[in-house]
Order: sequence, then structure tokens, then C-alpha cells
Amino acid sequence: MKKFIALLMAVLMVASLAACGSSSSAPAATAAPAAAAPAAAEPAAEPAAADNGEGKVFNIYAWNEEFKGFFEKYYTVPDGVTVNWIIVPSDNGAYQDALDEALLNQDAAAADDKVDMFLAEADYILKYVDSDATQDITALGVTDFSNAYTYTVGAASDANGVVKGVSFQCCPSALIYRRSIAKDVLGTDDPAEVQALLDSWDKFNAVAADAKAKGYYMTASFAETYRPFSNNCTTPWVDEDNNLQIDPEIQAWIDQTDEFIANGYTLTAGVWDDEKNVQMFADGKTMCFFGPAWYFNFCMGNAMDPDKGCSGDWAICEGPAAHFWGGTWLLAPAGSDNPTMLADVMNTFINDEDVCTALVANEAQFSNNQAVNAKFAADPSYGSEFLGGQNDVAVFSEMTDNIKWENHTIYDQLLNEGLQNALQEYYRGSVDKETAMQNFYLYVNEKYPTIVTP
Amino acid sequence: MTKSNSADSRKARAQLTALRVVVYIVLIFLSILCLFSFYMLIINATRSNGQLQAGFTLVPGGHMLENLKNAWTDSSINIPRGLLNSFLVASLTAILTTYFSALTAYGIHAYDFKLKKAAFTFIMAIMVIPSQVSAAGFVQICYKFGLTNNYLVLILPGIAAPIVFFYMKQYMESVLPMEIVEAARVDGSNEFRTFNTIILPMLKPALAVQLIFSFVQSWNNYFLPSLLLTKAEMKTVPIMIAQLRSADYSKFDMGKVYMFILLAILPVMVVYIILSKSIIKGATAGAVKG
Amino acid sequence: MKKGKGISYAKWGYIFIAPFFIAYAVFTLFPQLLTIYNSFFENYREGLKQVGPNFVGLGNYVKLFTPDKSGTINILKYTGNTLALWIGGAIPQIVIALLLAIFFTSYRLNIKGQQFFKTVIYMPNLIMASAFSMLFFTLFSNVGPVNQLIQAWGWSDVPIDFFAYKGTVRGLICIMNFLMWFGNTTILLMAGIMGIDQSLFEAANLDGASSVQVFFRVTLPLLMPILVYTVITAMIGGLQMFDVPQVLTNGKGMPDRTSMTLIMYLNNYLGGSKNYGMSGAISVIIFIITGILSMFVYRSLTKKD
Repeated sequence: MKKFIALLMAVLMVASLAACGSSSSAPAATAAPAAAAPAAAEPAAEPAAADNGEGKVFNIYAWNEEFKGFFEKYYTVPDGVTVNWIIVPSDNGAYQDALDEALLNQDAAAADDKVDMFLAEADYILKYVDSDATQDITALGVTDFSNAYTYTVGAASDANGVVKGVSFQCCPSALIYRRSIAKDVLGTDDPAEVQALLDSWDKFNAVAADAKAKGYYMTASFAETYRPFSNNCTTPWVDEDNNLQIDPEIQAWIDQTDEFIANGYTLTAGVWDDEKNVQMFADGKTMCFFGPAWYFNFCMGNAMDPDKGCSGDWAICEGPAAHFWGGTWLLAPAGSDNPTMLADVMNTFINDEDVCTALVANEAQFSNNQAVNAKFAADPSYGSEFLGGQNDVAVFSEMTDNIKWENHTIYDQLLNEGLQNALQEYYRGSVDKETAMQNFYLYVNEKYPTIVTP
Repeated sequence: MTKSNSADSRKARAQLTALRVVVYIVLIFLSILCLFSFYMLIINATRSNGQLQAGFTLVPGGHMLENLKNAWTDSSINIPRGLLNSFLVASLTAILTTYFSALTAYGIHAYDFKLKKAAFTFIMAIMVIPSQVSAAGFVQICYKFGLTNNYLVLILPGIAAPIVFFYMKQYMESVLPMEIVEAARVDGSNEFRTFNTIILPMLKPALAVQLIFSFVQSWNNYFLPSLLLTKAEMKTVPIMIAQLRSADYSKFDMGKVYMFILLAILPVMVVYIILSKSIIKGATAGAVKG
Repeated sequence: MKKGKGISYAKWGYIFIAPFFIAYAVFTLFPQLLTIYNSFFENYREGLKQVGPNFVGLGNYVKLFTPDKSGTINILKYTGNTLALWIGGAIPQIVIALLLAIFFTSYRLNIKGQQFFKTVIYMPNLIMASAFSMLFFTLFSNVGPVNQLIQAWGWSDVPIDFFAYKGTVRGLICIMNFLMWFGNTTILLMAGIMGIDQSLFEAANLDGASSVQVFFRVTLPLLMPILVYTVITAMIGGLQMFDVPQVLTNGKGMPDRTSMTLIMYLNNYLGGSKNYGMSGAISVIIFIITGILSMFVYRSLTKKD
């Protein structure tokens, strides 16, 4: 028993030593990168101010390291400023939770702790854009949006048209089809001809029956076509009196999916499920997928599998409806003490030709700069191996004009998810359609007490 | 007489053997179930992201070293640092929780005082309050008072752990009758010292059990730390795993995630194996005492 | 016997329990009071916009107990789910753990390889619940190995959608909770048995008591306090069940919300809209349910003493 106590004491001592070590080394570690700034060692004694009288610490909130990588490669930080990345994973909503708390405490926070820039996704961007937590970037000096795609500016604008941020990428989403299956079903795998045969939902639905007749699935997830429909809604999720409304486009998706499930044109799997993913193997039976450049470049790992995959047997076209999927926006929080640098970062990632070119050439991005993308679209030597040599930048450049940013609300993310989740149970046969919709309304009531449901 | 006696004992022995066989079968069956989840984890840690996307299979994928290298060298996380941070937070929390729970339980078990009953009832009452919502309030307060990125707010609340207290109290009730307490007591001596040098060693199995449990719980804790620790050099293992999981598509690699989950279990297992020895040794201590 | 020795030790009692109460007051009391306080207010966020707090009296509670359009009182449904999921996992967990603890500590059985078995059965508890659920999800998915085997053996031509049926989803949750916690409970009970004075067993054996008699006359009564602890904490844990069903069903509690637990319901209000009013009311209800059940269990198990 003495041994045990000795062990306990030893652990305690080591631990407390480590505690001292870490508490003294933690500030040291933050100070280390700031060594260039002599005053950084004693932040309490001297007011934090860079050469231009602005803050010495530039705090960026993000949920992963994607933009951090580009930022560190392509942006030159002004002398005397330390960039501090606050990366909170998005698991369990932790990113928005941490960001919200920081933004709501922005006024009280010390200058060096204020949020100076933060990243947001399309699904929830309006939550921040439509609030006082973000500020007008045109007032800061970001005024030239002529090269940026219209929808990316729209997404970062509040109800009065005030622009609060920019996106450093553009994510038009295409119809990605298996060339071999398209040949079998449509008699061609040429993108232009396939597009002509699939450019409306009526044609798409008719082809689904042909595909089924030949033993194929049209899509591999009941929710595969959700975004092409929901991006083109003609009404927002709620009307002026805050009544929930199902837009005709959403209704069209439900009708289409009812038919697809009933006839076996698609599977009951979710967009990210294994059951859908195995369909990307060479022996998969699915003709169509929907997704932007990042989807086929990075998420179609199965298709790239050397043994079972089918790289090169793919191509893209616009499909029945123009839409986008994903993308990251840089937003300007109100109360940043580094407005000049904030504006400079934003300008760099939409208007600096070299940086935007590098994003396309080195990072497999479709940049948010139309002039730069046009260069690549016109380059006959540029093409994607995965797509059998097709120039994806050229296809995407043509699609972008048709993408809309209209009728969005701060409720979009959760309502889109909630509707798909509720209906999935119906498609799997667990509940009838009415119960599924009732469960969706219950979910809406839980999330948003102000929305009136039928 | 002797004949039937030996027949009895033979029968008893046969029964014992039969029981032993049943026990081993049950143990082996349960062990297979338990090991299978580890098997899945190990298999997944050897598979590439593409293989993982295609669903689970029982065959290893041959990417073990690649995953290990990718996880270890991932620029967004520092695995050794994370393990060290987690170890620091978890061991301190476990020690504080166990020690102070035993102290509190002893205080209520061994002494008579006016508020004794009230104190016990109170602790039992707060034990049944769900922690989820208080956690949300706690986070808001920490942000208000600038207590983010501070290990103390994760460690110190461990001093008040009603569930561990309750265990210690119950344990004392079964192994530490008042006679022993009074025998251990030397009148006039420092009660605090009596507790540390005489009582605590008697509680060894219970202390070891709660050290393990609170260590594991703290080690795997994600919710509060993910909101309160935002500085890269202070993050703990579960936050880093979550960070790998929310990596952008170009770096997203579930093989790495599973490898890290596997790596994160190893230190806890070592702690468990070391401490579980003292649960058994406790029996010997009890025998000596008896 | 219970009385002290004349010298008053009362002050030591206060000194020993002081740290607990100080830490509790500093770190936990305020958020907990806030929870109860919030349950009487309308208090949520819509986006970043704070709504309330506006006093609504028992409004939140009334809302919770108002039947929805299909006539279901949702909070009762989720209480039922939670209890079903808890009982399904906890009863086998406690029974098996008790048996294993007795096996392991029995000198007559003298189980070999104890350290191995004890390590192995505790291992599932070391995996994070979320990772454990992820593993089970892939194992039982439509293209997972379980379905591959079912199809290979010809039991079914089409994959069985384990997540579409109430019975299978609940069954999986119970099995997972059992696997995660039975080793833990075994260790707790073993430590309890180990703490029992060994001379009592020896005396019983000398008197010729059978192992069944020893168990019921010696082990069980002396183990009772720890067993009471095990049942009550398993119940508290069970009523607060969250991680496993949350990750396994991706927060949906499918099918038809039949695997949605009370804390998942609470989390629905908390995630996104930070509805402290409604979630506060739900936690007060969980608090009351747990309190009543714990009191009942505590009373009925300790009555004999």
C-alpha cells in the first residue's frame, strides 16, 4: 500500500510539474511566432498596435485547415502582425457554437482577442451575413467584385444588399456520369450530346426509366437530386407571416423521388452513405452523380481505386438544373481591430491574378475570378484525367451564369437536413408519408419556435 | 459413509468442472465480442480512405504504415502534444476526483455533525441533474470571464463529483465499519493524517477503480473541451480526432482518423493495466487486515 | 457503536466535505440554477438574434405536455424510449457483471487468465462512444459485412435495412451499451467483493456452506451497498443516455423517433437554436424522473438493513 501511495504521489508530482511546465510554456509558444514583434512579449504593458495603428494580432476562426494552407502559401502578412488561427472542428456543431460565443462577446473582448475574420459555409452563411455581427466590406475597401461570380457575392450580402464578405472559391456542381453506362443507355458519352439528352427534369426522369430497363440505377441516393432542385427555389422556406412553405421545386423533388424509389431508379441511401459510395466502383450500376470539382477530385475515392475503380470512365455536364454545392466564404466581423489587413486579405483572394491562378493550377480549385478561370477554360492542354481528359474548368465556367442565389433564409441548413432525414424514413418504409411530414414539422418546431407549421 | 462421502465429493468435483467449462465458454464468447470491436478498429486503421468509403470488410487493407505516417505528420495536429495534454488533464482530473470524493465520503461516513444528513441528501440530489444543459451554461460563463484555453476550468470541477462520492460512500459502508474507523483513530492525532495514512490504503481497490474510470472519462471527453480549448497547442486528443474528421475534402482521410483513435486508446490501456493490478492486490490487503 | 467517543470530531466532518462544496458552488451550482431558472423563460436564439428571456411561467412545461397533431405527448414517448433502451441494456449488464465478478473472485473456480479476461471485457469502454457507434454503423449498413454474410448464407436476397426497424435499432443500441458497460460494472462489483473481509468467506466454507449459500448469505448482503450504487448510477446514466443512439442514428432517433432518448430530445432544442427555455424544462423533468426512480430503487434495495 505504501508503494501505491508512492506511485500516486509520483504521478501527482509529475503531473503538477507538467502543469507548471505547460502553463508557462503555453504563452511562450504563442509568443514564439510573434518574436518579430518586440512588444509581443509583454502584451499587458504596451497597447497592442501595429505600425498602421491597428491591432497586432489577427484572429481567424475556421473549422478546418483548408484556407489556412492557401493563406500561408499565398498571402504575405504585414510586418508586426501575428496571425492567430482558432480552429474548432465542426463536429457536433462545435464550430458555430464557439464562433457565436466569440462574436457575441466581441465588444467586451480585448483588442488582441477580437475576431478579425471568420469562415462560413453556404449552408449557414446567412445566419452571420444577416446580423450585426458582420460589417460592410465595401466601406473597408473591398469594392471590386467584377471578377467574382455573382452568386458568391449574393450569398455574402444581407437583405439590403450590403456585402459582408467574399468567397475564395466557386463551387458550381455538375452532373457527373459514367461514360460506359451513358453509352449503353443513351448511345453516347459525349458531354454535349449527353447534356442535350438530360437538360430538363422531364428528360432526366424519362431516361431513368430507360436506365432501369437496362439494369442500371439513375442515381444512388434518394437525396442525390435535392440540391439541383432546392438551389432553384422560387420562394423562401417561410412566407412573410413565418408560415412554413414547401416550394414547388422542393415539391418537385419529393414527387420525383417518390417515383424513383417506387420504380427502383435510385437507392434509399443518404448522400454520404457507404451504400452509395460502392456504386462508384467499376462494377457499380449507377449512371449519374451530382457534385462540384471537389466532389469528384476528392470524394470519389472508390472510382479512383486502382483495383476496383474506374478512373477515366467519367464525364461532366450541367445537367437538368444549374446549382452549386459548398464553398467557403471569408466574412468580416464587426469590431475587428485590423480592418486594413482584413480588406487586403479579401482583395487578394478574389482579385489578385497570380494568387487566383495558383489556386487553379496548384490546388485543384475553381477560383472565384472569372478572368483567371477563362484562361484555363481556353487552354486545350488543360484537362482532368479522372474525366477522361475533359476540361472541367471550361464546363464549370459555362455553368456559373445560371447559378442563382435567391430565396435563402437563415433556416436553410437545418430545414433542408430535416426534410431529407424525415422523408428518408418514408422511403425506407419505416413510416407513411404523412407521419414523415409530421416528424419534419415536429423537428422544425423544436429548432425554430417562431416558424408556424401546418 | 466414506464411500458416499467420496462419491459426493466426486460429484461436487464434476459439478465444479462443468461449471468451470461453462464459465470459460461465457468468458471466451464475451471476449470475442469485445475484441471484435477492436478488430474492426484495427482493420479500419489499415485501410485507405477510398477503401473505407466502400464500407467495412473483415480483411486488412495494407495501409497501416501509411495511415500512421499521415496521422503522425498531419500539419493540423500534433499527436504527441495532444497525448501529453490529454494525459495531463485526465490524470489530474482523475486524481482530484478520486481523492476528494474519498475525502468527502469519509467526512460523511466517519463523523457525526449537524448537517451530515442534509449534506448527503444534497449530494445525492445533484447527482441526478443531467449535465448537458449546465454544460451549455458553463461554456457561456467561461466565455464571459475569459476562461477559455485554461485547463483549470476542466480539471477543478472534478473535485465535486457526486457519482464518485456516492461510490466511495457505499464502498466504505461495506468495507469500513465504524469499529475500524475508531480503531484506526488515535485520539488527539490529526484526523487528516489518519485519513491519508490509514484509511486511504484500505480503500485501495475503490481508489484504483475510480482512478481508472475518471481517467477514461476525462480522456474521452469531447463536448466541453472542444468549446473551451481553441488554441492549437492546448487541444486534447478527442478535439484533434474531431478536427481530422472535419478536415477539408482534400485532406479528409478516415484511415488517419481510425489510426489516431487506435493510438489514443493505447495510453489508456496502459493506465488501466497498471491500475487494475492494485484492484487485485486490494484483496490481499483486506486479508491481512482481517 | 455509532456514537463518537466523546471527543467531538464534528469539525473534521465539515473540513473534509468543504472542498467538494466549494468546488461545486464555484463551478456547477450557478449553471445548474440557471438551468432551472431558464425553464420558466422563453429564451432562445434565432440565428444570432437572441429572443427573450421573457418570463412564461410554466409555459414551457405546458408545451412539453401538449399532445401533437397525432395525439402523442412527445416527452412521454421519449421517456418510454429511454426506459426501454436502458432496461434492455442495463439488466443483462448488471446480471452478467455480477456473475462475472463472482466467477473472478471465486477461489474454488480459480479462473485462469483473469488478467486477460478482465482487460478484454473492459476494452470497449476505452473506445470513444462516438467511434464505437461509427463502427457499428458501418458493420450493419446495407452494404456492411453483416448484410454481406446474410446474403452469402442465403438468409435473404435483399439487404436487411437494420436502421429501418424499431426492434433492430433499439436492439443494436442495447447491445452496444451492454458491451460498453458490462466490463466497467464487473470491475466495480469485483472491487466491492474484494473489499469484503475474506475471513467471512473462510468461516462460511468451514461451516460447510455451499457456494450458493455463501453468495446469498455472505456476498450479496455485504455487496448490497455497491450493488445499490451500480443500479442507481446505471439508471442515472441510462436516463441520460445520449452518445450511442445520437451517433448511431445521426441524431434522428429513427425510425419514427422510436430510439430518440430524452437527452437527444433536449439536444434537439439546444443544438442550433440554443433554446435554454425548453431544454431547461426538459432537464428539470429528467431530474424529477431520475430522482423519483432513484429514491424508489434506493428505498427498496436498502429496506432490509
